Amino acid sequence: MQQLPPALSITGLSKTYEDGTAALAGLDLEVPAGEFFGLLGPNGAGKTTLINAVCNLIRTSSGEIRVFGHEHTTLEARRLVGVAEQDPNLDRFLAVRESLIYHGGYFGMPRREATARADEMIDAFDLRAKAGALTTKLSGGMKRRLTLARALLHRPRLVILDEPTAGVDIELRHDLWRYIRRLHQEGTTIVLTTHYLEEAESLCEDIALIARGAIVARDSADNLMRRFDAKTLEEVYLQTVSGRADAAGLAGLDAEVGA
Amino acid sequence: MKPDPSRSLLALSSRETLRVTKLWSQTILAPVVSSFLFILVFGLSLGSRIREFEGFPYEVFIVPGLIAMAMAQAAFSNNSSSILQARNDRYINDVLAAPMHSWQMNLGLTVGGVFRALVIGIALMALAIPLTGVPVEQPLALFVAVALLVVVFGALGTVVGIYAKSFDHHSFVNNILILPLTFLGGVFYTVEILPPFWEAVSHLNPLFYIVNAVRYGFLGQSDVSIALSFAVTAAMALILVAWSQWLFATGHKLKP
Repeated sequence: MQQLPPALSITGLSKTYEDGTAALAGLDLEVPAGEFFGLLGPNGAGKTTLINAVCNLIRTSSGEIRVFGHEHTTLEARRLVGVAEQDPNLDRFLAVRESLIYHGGYFGMPRREATARADEMIDAFDLRAKAGALTTKLSGGMKRRLTLARALLHRPRLVILDEPTAGVDIELRHDLWRYIRRLHQEGTTIVLTTHYLEEAESLCEDIALIARGAIVARDSADNLMRRFDAKTLEEVYLQTVSGRADAAGLAGLDAEVGA
Repeated sequence: MKPDPSRSLLALSSRETLRVTKLWSQTILAPVVSSFLFILVFGLSLGSRIREFEGFPYEVFIVPGLIAMAMAQAAFSNNSSSILQARNDRYINDVLAAPMHSWQMNLGLTVGGVFRALVIGIALMALAIPLTGVPVEQPLALFVAVALLVVVFGALGTVVGIYAKSFDHHSFVNNILILPLTFLGGVFYTVEILPPFWEAVSHLNPLFYIVNAVRYGFLGQSDVSIALSFAVTAAMALILVAWSQWLFATGHKLKP
């Protein structure tokens, strides 16, 4: 049986911004097709830069990115990727339904198919009541729903979700988890960044921890805890990403405060 | 499903023209009204007190230049503001990530300004021809001149929209560069009436050649050779389109 190329294959990826900030430093990463992959790290670690590099939203300094075997700048690779950025970036001149239909058009869908798919996503993300409203008139939660619906509209095989549940209510978070789990079961590869470690632990089969522009640890949540002799993923995070020797104590403190 | 970049281009062009029609009172009505007022005030009111220019009544003489000026500003402002807004709100990322070629992004984002300029030009012609009796002596030349004009200013708007960091930059180019150069390009007068030094200076103004090319299309007369006017305008179009294409192809200023 022919083996599928990895959903994402990144070799020696570096990005230094014009102000001299080195956001990625020779990063290597491979995400197998069909995996639910979590990318964890503190703010400024390079998560969003990595996502933007895969989605052709920044110019990389060096390295190679392949999406299902296609060089990431090719049209074929672009078609296979869907991204929901951290902050909703919606077209202010379009209504909810229009913004989905136009997104489908940008991704090469025939108008009729894009319209049908837009209606499907409007129902899936409970946007029906606001389908005709301008995106500027939406609440924060609705904007987040629309951003996610748009990312999935063109049926990408690799879905990248950059902190999709940050600042959203519990209802939406659960809706989203349910939807993403179903997508994953249908074979879609998911790359998720999040600051909620319990979210990563419950959803992701494989987790990479990123710090200072490079992957510092990668495995399943259970294996990571075993390898770092940690009781929680938070301890692993603190040891690897923050380099805290007192990680166990800090994680315990958090638990007490949380209790 | 194989990606079909022609559909992507169609969708992007359609989005840009939709923006123009949704904002029609700002994008179409306001410039048509203000240019029409110029024709009424400068042409019909003052025209009776000003001698003929190049054998045409003044109200007829100024119509081609005013139409050219309105179209130029529309093509520029539309693309500059649309792209700047898209960059500020980051919804341009939806286009930059999409499976389309850089030339299709460039063309799709330029179409809005072209569409808006053409609608304004047609509306002003529809108002000015019955009112002033301005002729269209050289329709083919007018077609070429208008095509070059909308490409020049559409592409300039695209370039400025990519470089601008705020709406002040966009306004600066419009108010400090385009508007004065268009006025000084002979919209309201023929440069032949200027003293020799200022006439020579006028010939250094690239917009002078565009105004002349459009005027030739309407009146069949031009201050300079029509071939020279077309050559200068085509050269500007080529340079600006190449510049905007380079920005999309490299991601310079569009992608950090």
